[in-house]
Amino acid sequence: MPEAASSNGDDAPKLPPAKPAGAFEGETMTRRAVFSIGGQALGGAGIGIVGLSALGFAAGTPLFEQADEIWTAVGPPGKFAVDTYRSTVITLTHGVGEAGKTTAYVRMGSPDLEETQAFIAVSTRCAHLGCPVRFVEAANNFICPCHGGVYGFRGEVIGGPPVRPLDRFQTRVRDGQVEVGPRYSVTGDFDPVRYRDPGEFTGGIWNVLFPPRPSTPPAP
Amino acid sequence: MNRAEKEAYLREYEVLKKKGKPFFPYAVAKDSAMALIVVLVIVLMSLILGTEQGPKADPTTTTFVPRPDWYFFFLFELLRIIKPYQLVPIATIGVPTICMVLLISLPFFDRGPERRPERRPVASSAGCLTIIAMAFLTYVGASAGPPTEIDLATKPELEAGKNVVLSSGCLGCHVIGDNGNHGPGPELTEIGVRRSAAAIERSLRVGPDLMPSYSNLDADQFDDLVAYVSSLRGEDEEATNGE
Amino acid sequence: MAEPETSSRFLKLLPGPLRRPGTPQNGTGNLIDSAKEAPADLLGWVDERTGGSSQMTAMLFRKVPKGTNWFYTLGSATLFAFIAQALTGVFLAMYYTPSATQAYESIVHLTQDVFLGEFVRGMHLWGASVMVILVFLHMARTFFFGAYKYPRELQWVIGVVLLILTMTMAFTGYLLRFDQRAFWATVVGTNINGTGPLVGPFLSDFLRGGAEFGPTTLPRFYAIHMLLVPGAIIAMIGAHLKLVMTLGTTAPPWLRADEASKARDLRTEKVTTSLNGGSSDAEEVNEV
Repeated sequence: MPEAASSNGDDAPKLPPAKPAGAFEGETMTRRAVFSIGGQALGGAGIGIVGLSALGFAAGTPLFEQADEIWTAVGPPGKFAVDTYRSTVITLTHGVGEAGKTTAYVRMGSPDLEETQAFIAVSTRCAHLGCPVRFVEAANNFICPCHGGVYGFRGEVIGGPPVRPLDRFQTRVRDGQVEVGPRYSVTGDFDPVRYRDPGEFTGGIWNVLFPPRPSTPPAP
Repeated sequence: MNRAEKEAYLREYEVLKKKGKPFFPYAVAKDSAMALIVVLVIVLMSLILGTEQGPKADPTTTTFVPRPDWYFFFLFELLRIIKPYQLVPIATIGVPTICMVLLISLPFFDRGPERRPERRPVASSAGCLTIIAMAFLTYVGASAGPPTEIDLATKPELEAGKNVVLSSGCLGCHVIGDNGNHGPGPELTEIGVRRSAAAIERSLRVGPDLMPSYSNLDADQFDDLVAYVSSLRGEDEEATNGE
Repeated sequence: MAEPETSSRFLKLLPGPLRRPGTPQNGTGNLIDSAKEAPADLLGWVDERTGGSSQMTAMLFRKVPKGTNWFYTLGSATLFAFIAQALTGVFLAMYYTPSATQAYESIVHLTQDVFLGEFVRGMHLWGASVMVILVFLHMARTFFFGAYKYPRELQWVIGVVLLILTMTMAFTGYLLRFDQRAFWATVVGTNINGTGPLVGPFLSDFLRGGAEFGPTTLPRFYAIHMLLVPGAIIAMIGAHLKLVMTLGTTAPPWLRADEASKARDLRTEKVTTSLNGGSSDAEEVNEV
């Protein structure tokens, strides 16, 4: 293999070679370079095909597929008052039994608070990191037991670290029953936005920094 | 470390290594003894402490008080003490990420040749401070009582008022002893020392600032509430009162 | 196989420490003698086909610097805690059902009904705490002994990655027991991931398998806890150990080459012994 020996670039020629060392006239790559690049490309392609397929399989559905809308009937309209909440259990996900349910606090929309919806359903997930908040009737506020979040009657933050008001659920009346549907988030001014996970800011630039996810239902 | 220091270290290490003993059986004996201790500790903990299994996961709860396992208490407490909502991403992502980056890059910015801890005062004190901070956060996180109970001793006649405090959500905004949240309201552990019963009653009736008015409670309940809150005179005294 | 020539040929392949002294080079080859040779023969047979014994002896009989003390056992103790976790974990997996509707019941069943169930589950549960503590102690030792410095920087980086992976194990193991504490801790933990701008929301979608807790959430955590992270940990431990063998165990930072010989007599005092200046150290080394 005299060629291979001479192609070894260790001798550090003074002048740059006109063609790659060890190559024949007109060649731009040595045999060694072809095998080196080709081998890496073939191996990379193999790993890439398997790896990307696996990643798409693991991430595709969770990130981009929107779950079916589920509406849960929670009782006749007469059951709910304007000035206090009633706790109701609704289904968020099918297929996990009790673990797919959550509690929503429901009341009638109040014209005094300039609310246009007939019924307001407030989520019990703290907007800080998702702990279960409780409505305290005596104080008319929601209290989170984890990191000190406190919300007022409408779900607006009055203390602690929560980054936005409590989430809400869409409501409608069908067949004489109030139904509670998909979840959505609100900004500080109670403008509905697509559902964000707890801990994510809403409103203004934050709607871009914490982008809406295709896996969530569209905002009402 | 410059080149000379690197070579000096490697030479010295070579000498120390030559004077050392073979890994087997000397170091292996120690390692095996330690492994046995580890296994015995695990077995004893398993036998004595058993397993823990709480009630089944229930996402519909509104009364459960979530707490992490002990090794995440420092993070839990960090989330509790960083109150301003603008700083939430810093508490959740920022601080842990910065800590991890600092930790990973430690050998790349601390490149001095000195290895003895007492001659690396900055590194050693930084390490000690980190340990103390984490231990402190873990301790405070572990002792943080839920806002659904009050651990202070209470005189029997004040129990009724204590229950009103618990059911009225006072601990959502106030701290009493180890329970409740720091803010937005002031700490109430010693409120009886700072305020007269009349002033406390007025606050509860009017509801200053963010605080809601509690005048919609029954008269009995309201009186019990005032009696309990104005009896709060700090942890020690309360405990002796309770006896 | 028991022919004298063959066995002696194999024995020559063995490195010194494994070769039995006084082995007859051309014995008479009776049955007892060949039976005595059997272990060495077997070793030789394997070694001729793997070349393993030279690596084994290189690992086992490498020198460990003088003065290494009990603090140096923390790393292997962590490794041992991991092995214990892996063993108990594999057997727990035989009884566990990673489904939101059956996980809790399967844990109650394996704890209460299965023979030694509570014991093995307790070992896994408390072993997790022990491993976390050992990882931190091992890291503290490395930090205070300056053992992360040249030439062991990469060793430290791998160690920090192992620390993160261990905490990931502790976190993903939570949800599997599916009680209230586990569920809500996981909710909070997943949402912490979501607070990172831009990628955070998608990361928590990925972890949860959707926008809400759903049928794939528990199997996901199970796969991460059972396969993904342990695989990464094993690979990282392999690299960690390989580097230990390549670079050697550090000497205690107080020990200097010129003190090493004295240390034999002053074993108990070596930590507090004050040392001469660095210049005389260097001279001493040069002499050696």
